[in-house]
Amino acid sequence: MTDTLAGKTAIVTGAGRGIGAGVAQLLASEGAAVVVNDLGVDLDGSSATQQHADDTVELIAAAGGRAIASYADVTSFDAGAGLVQQAIDAFGGLDIVVTCHGILRDRMIFNMTDEEWDAVIAVHLSGTFHVVRHAAGHMREQRTGRIITFSSTTGLVGNPGQANYGAAKSGIGGLTKVVARDLGRYGVTCNSIVPVAATRMTTSVSDEARAKRAERGIARSTEGASGARFDPDDVAPMVGYLASDFASNVNGQFFYVYGKSISVMSQPRLERTIVKTEGFHSVDELRTLFPERVTGQLVNPAPEREA
Amino acid sequence: MANEKLLEGQVALVTGAGRNIGKGVAKLMAEHGASIVVNDLGVALDGSDPSGGPADETVAEIGEGGGEAVANHDSVADPDGAERMVQAALDTFGRLDILVNPAGILRDRMVFNMSLEEWDSVIAVHLKGHFNLISRVSRVMREQRSGRIITFSSTSGIWGNSGQANYGAAKDGIAGLTRVVARDLGQYGVTCNAIVPSAETRMTQSVPDSARALRAQMGIAAASAVAPKHLARPAEAIAPVTVWLASNEAAHVNGQLFYVSGGLVSLVSQPTPGRTVTKPGDKRWTIEEIAAIFPATLGMDMHNPAPAPTE
Repeated sequence: MTDTLAGKTAIVTGAGRGIGAGVAQLLASEGAAVVVNDLGVDLDGSSATQQHADDTVELIAAAGGRAIASYADVTSFDAGAGLVQQAIDAFGGLDIVVTCHGILRDRMIFNMTDEEWDAVIAVHLSGTFHVVRHAAGHMREQRTGRIITFSSTTGLVGNPGQANYGAAKSGIGGLTKVVARDLGRYGVTCNSIVPVAATRMTTSVSDEARAKRAERGIARSTEGASGARFDPDDVAPMVGYLASDFASNVNGQFFYVYGKSISVMSQPRLERTIVKTEGFHSVDELRTLFPERVTGQLVNPAPEREA
Repeated sequence: MANEKLLEGQVALVTGAGRNIGKGVAKLMAEHGASIVVNDLGVALDGSDPSGGPADETVAEIGEGGGEAVANHDSVADPDGAERMVQAALDTFGRLDILVNPAGILRDRMVFNMSLEEWDSVIAVHLKGHFNLISRVSRVMREQRSGRIITFSSTSGIWGNSGQANYGAAKDGIAGLTRVVARDLGQYGVTCNAIVPSAETRMTQSVPDSARALRAQMGIAAASAVAPKHLARPAEAIAPVTVWLASNEAAHVNGQLFYVSGGLVSLVSQPTPGRTVTKPGDKRWTIEEIAAIFPATLGMDMHNPAPAPTE
C-alpha cells in the first residue's frame, strides 16, 4: 500500500471484471475508498449477477483497502445520481470517477438492428454521461475532481463490424473534450484512456472474423498491437496517475495504454489545406485542387473488391 | 450552372435541406444533375414546432432551376421516418446513390446543469439520426455496389466546445461512426466521409456574443478558433466539397474528415499515437514513476484547454 490517493473517494464503473477491476484495486491500494460498480451482466448485456462487484470488494478488503459494492445500472440517469450519492453517503465525498463499463453487439452496418445500436449507445455513451453529469455538479462545488473516461481505437481509428461501439466510443471522446472545457476552470480534469488489453470484450472477436478482415485487406484499428498480448491490469497505473494530485493540469487528453507502454494520442489538426481568400472554391476548382493538394495520397482503408 | 455535371442520373437524399447547409447542398447537387429527396422537418432550432414549409421551398427552388426534387417532412430521429425517406427515393426516382445528412438541433447547457431530455434529444437527432439513415441506405448501396455517404461532424466534437456535452458527444460519435462505416462498406464500392463545417447558420448564430466573450475572458479555448476569422463563412461554401465527395472522382476517398470554412478546406488528421513511454521489464508502472517522467515526455507541449484561475 502506498498513499498517493489517501483520503480520496472513487467510483469505478464496470469494476467487477477486466480493466475496471484492476483500476478499482489499484486506486484502493493507493489509499482511495472505492465504490465498485458492476451490473454483472454477460458481454451482450444480459443476465445480471451481483457476484462480480462483490468479488472485487472482497479482494480490496483482503488487501486492507476500503470498498463497497454498487449494482446500479448506469443506463438510467437517476441511477447515475444514485451512484454519486452512494459515494458521498458512504465515504463523505467524491473525488475520482472512472467509467470502464461496457458491452458489445458487433454487426456489419447493413445488418445492424436498431436494438443493437440503441443498447450499445445507451450503455457506453449515455451511461458515461449519466455518471459524469452528476459527478460534475459535486466536483464543481468542491473545486476539485478527476474524471477518467474510456474510449477505444475502434472509435478513434475505426474497426469494421462495430458501428455502434465505434460511434459510442468516439462519442465518449467528444464528451471528454467538452467536459474538460466545462469543468477545467473549477479545478476538475477530464481525460480518456484508449486501452488495448485482453479482456472478455476483445476475446469475443473470433479468430475467423480476424482472418476474414485480413484476407479482404480491411485495415485493423490497432496498428498491429494485438490485444491478446496485453494484461488488463497494466491499464490501471495511468488511471491512478490521472486521478492523483500529480496530474492536476492534465486535461482533455487521450492516452493509449498497451502493456507497459503509454502514448499520448494526437489531437486532430488541419493537414493539407487549400485556401481561397475571396469567396469559396467552386466544384470545378476543387476537381483540380483536391486531388493535387488534399486527397491525392489518401488510401482507402477498405478498397473495393471485384463482385 | 456547372461546366460539367458530376452527378448526372444519380439520386441524392439530403436531410435538413430546408435551410442553410443542407439547402445549399441540395441545390448544388440538383444543378449537377442529381434528383433530390429534400428532407426537412421544418422545426425550430431546439426541435420544436414542425412545419413543412422549408423543404417545400427548396423543392420549388430546385424546380425553378430545372432540377428534379421531392419533399419529405419526416424526422431523422424516427427509424420509420428514415425508412420512408429511403423509400421516397426508390419510389420516385428508382434508386439511391448519395446520402448527405446535415440535419440537426442544439440544446446547449454546461454539463453540470444538462437535463436528461437535453442529452437524449440531441443524441437522438444527430447520432441516432445518422445511424437510422446510414443503416438503411447501406442495404441499398451494398446491393448496387456503389454509393456515397457524407456525414456531418463538428468542431465541437473534434476539438471540444464548452457548453455542448450533448452536441460534442453526438458529433464526435458521428466521426467514429464514419470511420467504421467506411470499413464496413468500402469493399462494396461505397464510401463514407465526414464534413466538419464552420459556417454562419442558425445554429452558430444561436451562440450569444456574451458566451463567446465569457469563454475568451476565462481562457477557455473555443473550437472554432482554428479558422481565420476574417474569412467569410457562408453556408453555401459547404456544398462544392460535398458534391465533389459524392462524385465518381472521389472513389478512393473513404473514412476521412474534411474541415470546410468558407474558402478554407482541409483534410483533418486522424488520431494517432504520438509520444510514447515504455517501461522495460515485467513490472508495472507506479503512479510516482509516471509522475516523474510525464512532464518531460508525454506532457511536453501539452496545455490545459480550460485552466483553473490561479488563486
